[in-house]
Amino acid sequence: MRKRRSFLLALAVAAIVGSIWFYVFLVKPPQQTLDQRVHDVASQLKCLVCQGESVADSPATLSQQMRGIIRQQLQSGKSEPEVIQYFVSRYGDRILWSPPWQGLTLLAWLVPIALLLGGTLLLFFVLRGWHTQSDCVSPGDGATGTDVRHEKDMEYYQQQLEQELAAEDPIFATHLPNIEWEAN
Amino acid sequence: MYFSDLGIIALILALGFAVYTMFVAILGATREIPQLIASAKRSVLTVSFFLLLASAALAISFLTHDFGVSYVAQHSSLAMPWYFTASAFYGGQEGSLLYWALMLSIFSAIFVFMAKRAPAVLVPYVLATLMGIETFFLVVLATVSNPFVRLHVPLPDGVGLNPLLMDPGMLVHPPMLLMGYMSFSLPFAFAVAAMITGKLDSEWLRSIRRWMLVSWSIQTTGLVLGAWWAYHVLGWGGYWGWDPVENAALLPWLTATAFLHSSMVQERRGMLKVWNLSLVIASFALSIFGTFEVRSGIISSVHSFAYSAIGAYFLAFLGIVIVFSIGLFIFRLPKLRPEQEFDSAISREGSFLLNNLLLVGVTFATLWGTLFPLISNAIRHETLTVGPPFYNQVDGPIFIVLILAMGIGPLLAWRRTSTRALRRNLGIPALAAAVCAAVLPLVGIRDIWANIAFAVCSFTAGAILYEVWRGVRVRHRHGEPYPIALYMLFERYRQRYGGYIVHLGLVMLAVGVIGSHFFQVQQDAVLKPGQEINITDHKLVYFGNIDTQYPDVEIVTAQLQVWRGGELQQYIYPGRQLYRSFADQPASLISITTYGLTDLYVFLANWQGPSQATIRVFINPLVPLVWLGGLVMLLGGIICWWPARRKRRVDVIDAIPKAESEPVEVRVVQGAGVVHGEEDAT
Repeated sequence: MRKRRSFLLALAVAAIVGSIWFYVFLVKPPQQTLDQRVHDVASQLKCLVCQGESVADSPATLSQQMRGIIRQQLQSGKSEPEVIQYFVSRYGDRILWSPPWQGLTLLAWLVPIALLLGGTLLLFFVLRGWHTQSDCVSPGDGATGTDVRHEKDMEYYQQQLEQELAAEDPIFATHLPNIEWEAN
Repeated sequence: MYFSDLGIIALILALGFAVYTMFVAILGATREIPQLIASAKRSVLTVSFFLLLASAALAISFLTHDFGVSYVAQHSSLAMPWYFTASAFYGGQEGSLLYWALMLSIFSAIFVFMAKRAPAVLVPYVLATLMGIETFFLVVLATVSNPFVRLHVPLPDGVGLNPLLMDPGMLVHPPMLLMGYMSFSLPFAFAVAAMITGKLDSEWLRSIRRWMLVSWSIQTTGLVLGAWWAYHVLGWGGYWGWDPVENAALLPWLTATAFLHSSMVQERRGMLKVWNLSLVIASFALSIFGTFEVRSGIISSVHSFAYSAIGAYFLAFLGIVIVFSIGLFIFRLPKLRPEQEFDSAISREGSFLLNNLLLVGVTFATLWGTLFPLISNAIRHETLTVGPPFYNQVDGPIFIVLILAMGIGPLLAWRRTSTRALRRNLGIPALAAAVCAAVLPLVGIRDIWANIAFAVCSFTAGAILYEVWRGVRVRHRHGEPYPIALYMLFERYRQRYGGYIVHLGLVMLAVGVIGSHFFQVQQDAVLKPGQEINITDHKLVYFGNIDTQYPDVEIVTAQLQVWRGGELQQYIYPGRQLYRSFADQPASLISITTYGLTDLYVFLANWQGPSQATIRVFINPLVPLVWLGGLVMLLGGIICWWPARRKRRVDVIDAIPKAESEPVEVRVVQGAGVVHGEEDAT
């Protein structure tokens, strides 16, 4: 009964947030000003005469001219990727701040992502391995007895404390059963 | 006899004593001769004395303008004020390496004085490792990168310091960051000592954790100061540009953060020993990489102040460190078995593993991006740089998940958490996130990523504050007034609540970063007197330029009025400083005015005579939160490592056997104390 009520509450909150987001981002998608669009494109391009600055950030004359060109092209109706493509065709890949998703520079993107995914997978298997191991090992094994007892006591306190807290919590103030925790 | 000669003599003597310490400490440990170990300790103090002497010699050479010393002539001039002359000490490569070595010797001396607290078996090996590192630096200082080399003919005046370095930031940021890099030596020395002796117990862990916390705090300070300096000096409206050198400073900080979390698993459960050792070694290797990268100029960066050929020395040293550590590691591997088994993925341990995966993921992605120009050069003979958009797209989402995990992690119990308890714990934070997600789009935050990020931040802030509140309330119910209950929580369970403060600081910092990343507004304009710039609800009216001539510097400032919401606020004077000796590098005087949580950032990009100026204006929302968050993080770090009074520890230890011997009902009354003491008590 209580479980259902909190579930319904969560559902209602999710629905409200969802509908606001739906309205704000899909029905009335944000309009960017020309300045913002110029800045977006310029920050994708590298200033070729500076050390480690983008066209958007650099005060160099060349960058100022490039920002002017970007503004003109955007005003004449070109899309952002078209403008970036225009600069790539003139200066080559080295003008791009972020490596394109093709060729050698694909490596720049794929290696970290692959490693992160690999790490997640490894973590998953390690966790599962540990989990099944601990299922056949009784909890007392592996450590000194008092340590584990202490550990269990701690857990017991935590549960008691939490139950105590929940009892006075206006949001969750309903009766809870006595300490019979499903440990899943 | 010049002071610089004294400096050289002191360096060579320091080198001699450092080598002596290494041999004597190892001999003393293997033959078990306590006299030799005592001698090694005194010898470490001697090394730091001679390094202090050498540093004093360099400082005096600077302050007395001894331009016969090449390093002094290249990095200072007669016209510089005394504080910049003194800070020119670490303005170039030789001096900053001397500073590194000096700090290492001072920290080693501090270690000697505190050696009673560390496990006695480890002390000689820690000393030997520290002095091994010191030896490398002293060899470099005495040969290829000697700050005391004299010119055949002294110059009448020096070249002076790069104008970018003539900033108050110079006085605090480089010493902090170099000290940060250096400080990772101590945990590394502990790791080496533990691998040699095979003593990786809880006592070892306590020592190494404390030193790592110190390193972490110093590095945090260095990073925040660096960001602050960039914001005030570089003029592009931001504070973090994913520059290779900035990345290099971030990398050891990330692995140190990972270690501080995963070591808690070892402290509590005796697991992850191998992993923790690798994190300590990685932190040190990355800090050497950072020191080396700035020096070598292999990767182009805005920090191109100090280039030289000593890169090869550092690369060799890095190689030795890595090979030596891996060798020891393999030798010690059989002893590194976990003491306990893992129970459940939904537990504190599980969340620490996730935290480590994400932190190491960010570290790797950042390192990969930093090194990519070299990799692409090796493969295709074309230097392809990786810029901020790459890091924002790869690291940004990982950081958001990390902040989310930061909110959930502390709510999970060790070993396993009942899903019901978790659901109840998550209720209030989730409500905070939902309110944030519902309100922000309606008040005009129209970027979907910014909304997600803000919702995550409010979730985590809600989770932390709720957790603190619950602790306070439990204590209050046992008869303490609220303020005292709050104070007692921090007083008694420093590590736990210090950690929450750090997390809260990071959330504040993240909110600042999100705000300035997504909502920065920028405008450029060429202005004549009387013309104005309108940007958001601010209006700037230009009046003209003011040119002031000083003997060594010319300062040009533009005068502007700031109007906000139709009311005149104040006059601002963004400008440029032209040092006579660096006429082609005008340093900027950026005007930053803070209104509430929004910065008005005005930069004079260019000027023509007295009546034309190119002005670049940024509106940077929430940036003050970045500095505030940094301060809060530092505060939390200090709370964590500040030594607890001995009496406290006795108290906590007393409490445990009592709790075990008494019946359950009684224990619940003191439950709050025991539960919240979990980090300290074990």
